[in-house]
Amino acid sequence: MQKTDKENMTQVLQHPLRKLLESRIAIIDGAMGTTIRTYGMKEADIRGERFKDSTKDLLNNGDLFSLTQPGMICDIHRRFLEAGADIIETNTFGATSITQSEFFVDDPREHGGRKDPEFYQKVIDDEFLNSLAWDINEQSARQCREIADRVGNETGQQRFVAGAMGPLTVSLSNSPDAEDAGFRVVTFDQVKAAYKHEARALIAGGVDVLLVETIFDSRNAKAALVAIREVFDEDGLTAEGRELPVMISAAVGRGGETMISAQTIEAFWIAMEHVKPLSVGLNCSLGPDLMYPFLAELAEKADVAISCYPNAGLPNPLAATGFDLGPEDMARYLGEFARAGLINIAGGCCGNTPEHIAAIAKALKGVAPRELKGAR
Amino acid sequence: MKPGNEENERMAEDGIPEENSVMETRPLRLSGSQPFTQQPGVFIMIGERTNVAGSPKFAKLIKQDKYEEAVSVARQQVENGANVLDICMDEGMIDGVAAMTRYLQLLASEPEVAKVPFMVDSSKWEVIEAGLKCLQGKGIVNSISLKEGEDKFRKHAAAVLKYGAAAVVMAFDEEGQAATYEDRIRICERAYRILVDEVGFPAEDIIFDPNILTVATGMEEHNNYAVDFIKATRWIKANLPHAKVSGGVSNISFSFRGNNKVREAMHSAFLYHAIVAGMDMGIVNAGMLEVYEEIEPELKELVEDVLLNRRPDATERLVRLGETLKGASTDEVSEKKTEAWRDGTVEERLSHALVKGIDAYIEIDAEEARVKLGRPLAVIEGPLMAGMSVVGDLFGAGKMFLPQVVKSARVMKKAVAHLTPYMEAEKAQMAAAGQEVKAQGKIVLATVKGDVHDIGKNIVGVVLACNNYDVVDMGVMVSCEKILERAKTEKADIVGLSGLITPSLDEMVHVAREMERQGFKLPLLIGGATTSRVHTAVKIAPHYSEPVVHVLDASRAVPVVSSLLSDEGKPAFVTEHRADSEALRKAYAAPRLQVLPLETARARRTRIEWRAEDLPVPEFTGIHVLDNFPLATLREFIDWTPFFHAWELKGVYPRILDDPAQGEQARQIFMEANALLDRIVAENLLTARGVYGFFPASAVGDDVELYTDETRTKELEQFHFLRQQANREGREPCRSLVDFIAPKETGLGDHIGAFAVTSGIGLKELCDGFRAGHDDYNAIMAEAIADRLAEAFAECLHKRVRDEWGYGRAESLSNADCIQEKYRGIRPAAGYPACPDHTEKGTLWRLLDVQANTGMLITESFAMWPGSSVSGLYFAHPESRYFSLGKIGRDQVADYAGRKGMTVAEVERWLGPNLNYEPAG
Repeated sequence: MQKTDKENMTQVLQHPLRKLLESRIAIIDGAMGTTIRTYGMKEADIRGERFKDSTKDLLNNGDLFSLTQPGMICDIHRRFLEAGADIIETNTFGATSITQSEFFVDDPREHGGRKDPEFYQKVIDDEFLNSLAWDINEQSARQCREIADRVGNETGQQRFVAGAMGPLTVSLSNSPDAEDAGFRVVTFDQVKAAYKHEARALIAGGVDVLLVETIFDSRNAKAALVAIREVFDEDGLTAEGRELPVMISAAVGRGGETMISAQTIEAFWIAMEHVKPLSVGLNCSLGPDLMYPFLAELAEKADVAISCYPNAGLPNPLAATGFDLGPEDMARYLGEFARAGLINIAGGCCGNTPEHIAAIAKALKGVAPRELKGAR
Repeated sequence: MKPGNEENERMAEDGIPEENSVMETRPLRLSGSQPFTQQPGVFIMIGERTNVAGSPKFAKLIKQDKYEEAVSVARQQVENGANVLDICMDEGMIDGVAAMTRYLQLLASEPEVAKVPFMVDSSKWEVIEAGLKCLQGKGIVNSISLKEGEDKFRKHAAAVLKYGAAAVVMAFDEEGQAATYEDRIRICERAYRILVDEVGFPAEDIIFDPNILTVATGMEEHNNYAVDFIKATRWIKANLPHAKVSGGVSNISFSFRGNNKVREAMHSAFLYHAIVAGMDMGIVNAGMLEVYEEIEPELKELVEDVLLNRRPDATERLVRLGETLKGASTDEVSEKKTEAWRDGTVEERLSHALVKGIDAYIEIDAEEARVKLGRPLAVIEGPLMAGMSVVGDLFGAGKMFLPQVVKSARVMKKAVAHLTPYMEAEKAQMAAAGQEVKAQGKIVLATVKGDVHDIGKNIVGVVLACNNYDVVDMGVMVSCEKILERAKTEKADIVGLSGLITPSLDEMVHVAREMERQGFKLPLLIGGATTSRVHTAVKIAPHYSEPVVHVLDASRAVPVVSSLLSDEGKPAFVTEHRADSEALRKAYAAPRLQVLPLETARARRTRIEWRAEDLPVPEFTGIHVLDNFPLATLREFIDWTPFFHAWELKGVYPRILDDPAQGEQARQIFMEANALLDRIVAENLLTARGVYGFFPASAVGDDVELYTDETRTKELEQFHFLRQQANREGREPCRSLVDFIAPKETGLGDHIGAFAVTSGIGLKELCDGFRAGHDDYNAIMAEAIADRLAEAFAECLHKRVRDEWGYGRAESLSNADCIQEKYRGIRPAAGYPACPDHTEKGTLWRLLDVQANTGMLITESFAMWPGSSVSGLYFAHPESRYFSLGKIGRDQVADYAGRKGMTVAEVERWLGPNLNYEPAG
């Protein structure tokens, strides 16, 4: 028992990101989607050559920009790095066959049909969607790798790439059928297959860590974590001691429960703890003020690093960025969290621009990170 | 059932190593939707009624596909105090994988049940794995063992760890089930070492089941089974750190089937002793446990004789006593206590049932309410809707979770289902009486084009469908045309739009417009994370004549839809909603002042009594060019205060130099700035160039006409001005710059001045030089200084202009006075508050031929290049003053567009911040 624990500990300890987390609060980047919008891209821009004949609108399928407008995406990554991000996320929030199917496959509901496991099995087996998902993940990971290493070399400060695995557009915990609460549109194995494919492509592209994020359905997240474990085992990473650290981040509602599956934060941590993640935390959904009590609870219960990258307040369709808080506001809140000893990783989600991240990085400079052992 | 003091003595007998007795045991931690942490000394009850092997009733429900009732078995277990639910589908006639999956997915939708951890129980690995895939929390696997060898065992244990669950490990190996004490502990130790040392399984998540085997079977070798279990438990707790012990308790009394009195007593007595030995948890019928202290003394003694194997005739004696007790035994779990909430009024009961998601009495209560209120519809629109509103409030406040809301909707559905036949009958009666019958409401839902998020919309769909509405869900990425076409073909009563991302908001506006254009008469619902009540009222509703209602969440959808589709309720709802929206729009517009009609504003122009002596004639008309203006002169006119602001030092020069907090920093940069300025002046690093002129001019309406010469016959250019329209209290005029030029009709010959100056020539080279030397600091400093020089140039030139205009020579003002603008006349700049339209610079550039005379450019967005440049107009009248235009109305924008020869849209684009309304498009 003790032996195994110790082995795991040393393995994790050796990771340079873990070392960084012991010495200071690491900064993770801001939002891709809301930042892309400031570049004023049009439908033709996202289509490029590759998707010029697509029948559905693609403009909001932001992950595709990594393939068709790498210049813009790399510019955003660079701006976040220059703003002080230690960790940047790949632009792969929706880069699974399942999520991409929404943009490329006819919705059976338009013709009186329904989405069900049979529909999604076709999606999982679809060659076009699989190669698309692979390309987005691998390309985005490569782009991030290159720019993170370049900025790292220029600044003499190592930067890390987190392979972002988003929550999908389907839920394993919820039935869309009023007649049948036991029905699910998709199966665990299908979700797992989509995530395995994504994890492999991210690893092939050279990410440093895998980040399962914006978890609003714990069962979806479990499928992602099982997928990651299986990839490590099947691809020989476990045997060679090359497992990547895993980061986990949930999106909770005003009551502190995961948005769709309604799991409280401690229950969530207990369910995910076996993964021995590098960090666990909260992102998206709420602004920092509303997130605070749940973050405090998580920081008390969990004995790994705590991450926090909230939205820039609540969505406000009438505000210029679509969100309430400006850079100084975010910096103030996260500064308070840091001084309260709650966090090891800080950044922003929707509505956070490079200016927000720069302000956060500035505010957290020199503030001690949360101590990394003896929690619970 | 807490271990007594004898625990310590017995432990000592067993020779537990000292260190172990002080080492803290890690508790078992599990979760469903809520956390569950084992508390010291508290026995964990695992409900067994959801096990087809243990409960014939449950098995029957599953086999007959009565899953809904099977779910209620789980709920009863939780209500009766089970901490964990054991779920088992091992029965020949049941497809284990399918049944396990379906049942667990149903339980996930049952919030009161989903909160507890589940134990996935099967002898088949594929059923266990299917169960593990359905758990959002951390459950328990029951069970794994060495039965099929170490490899399988390791593999299964690693898989359990992969899914994140605890595991029951049976005392079973390749040779079979361990029956003796020695075999039990040997196998448990072997399994423990493999799990902990090889698999890396957390020791506290290992739960040994050292086999509770049936006693009192009449076979002598079975007599010590209970004792061996208890001894093995004690050994495990002493020797295998952190491991837990569990067991299936009802096995022990299997030989007394049908005699619950004896069985309950045996269970209680057995648990009492096993818990003392360290048993952590057990699979029990939570509703079927006698309290140990309350077992009749005689029965207790005989039961303990059997369990503890205290005398050879123990079984016989217990069997004899049991016969006499049999008649008294009852299969029924003690009668459920009457629930207090049942005492309320029928309205209160309906509300309680909806909020708690209890469907047990919903039909009885719905019926009672129907009789009481007279009409089925009155029940739905009355107490049921009121209950759903409470649900909505609680959800909005974060006090209820989504699955609970869905659960409430399902209870609602049951109530509605009960009332439906009565409504049908009512309709039939009405139809027979020749009255119009309204069909069930139909709602078309879609996530708008460009957006793929639909989980929230799905939930709204479920909740509406549960309330008996016909829901047509078109899915995601649905174009406006398709939505509206479907709404027509389906003869929808309501259209609902959803979207999560910001661009969806515009698409919703588009759909609203299209509905208006195509003459739709349906209400439109708006929902999704980025939408809001205010946004809906301000941006979407104005485009569509029918009600456009923002639906905050699923729980709000039902009251809104039911109101919109009710003949009686709709008018009041719509009236109230329109008033609400209007109030929201007003509140949104509140910071804006009420604007006056343009004509009224013009009538309130600055009152000036025009006299010839107030209109001096300049020394020349036409333009003068100033090349290479001496920087040393400009330096004297620098206003340093904005320079400090540029460096984020807030204060007024020169006081800031002595400021206690910022003084030192201020003095430092002031010194450095002057050092650099010395260099710039000495080495002529920057070049100042400018052009200015005087022109005969008259005001005509809100424009100023400039003439080629004093004959004032040929028009040279026209400047167009805007007028304040704010309705200020008192007698404040509605000012416009045109007010300060004598109107043509006065017959007086007035003049206007114009200028454009720059001190930025050479700035780029200077800054590039600094940056090449990695001296960003001085580059910024140079820019800040150049800006100040440009302003100084404008100020200095204004002084000269006043002199040349004749009225300035008598000023005798210091440079400081000049900076504080203590002089007659103003020099407003296009793009600044008094005349915010940047495009007027175009006229100025033509008038002074700025580009040819100075090299200054204007970009397509009317910005000046190089950066350190200033341009503007000169007004000489003593009454002329600066002001801020503020908000203007549509009438002035249209009028101004006409005067400028621009489209209204163009004007709106340039004057966005000044518009007192939301421009179209």
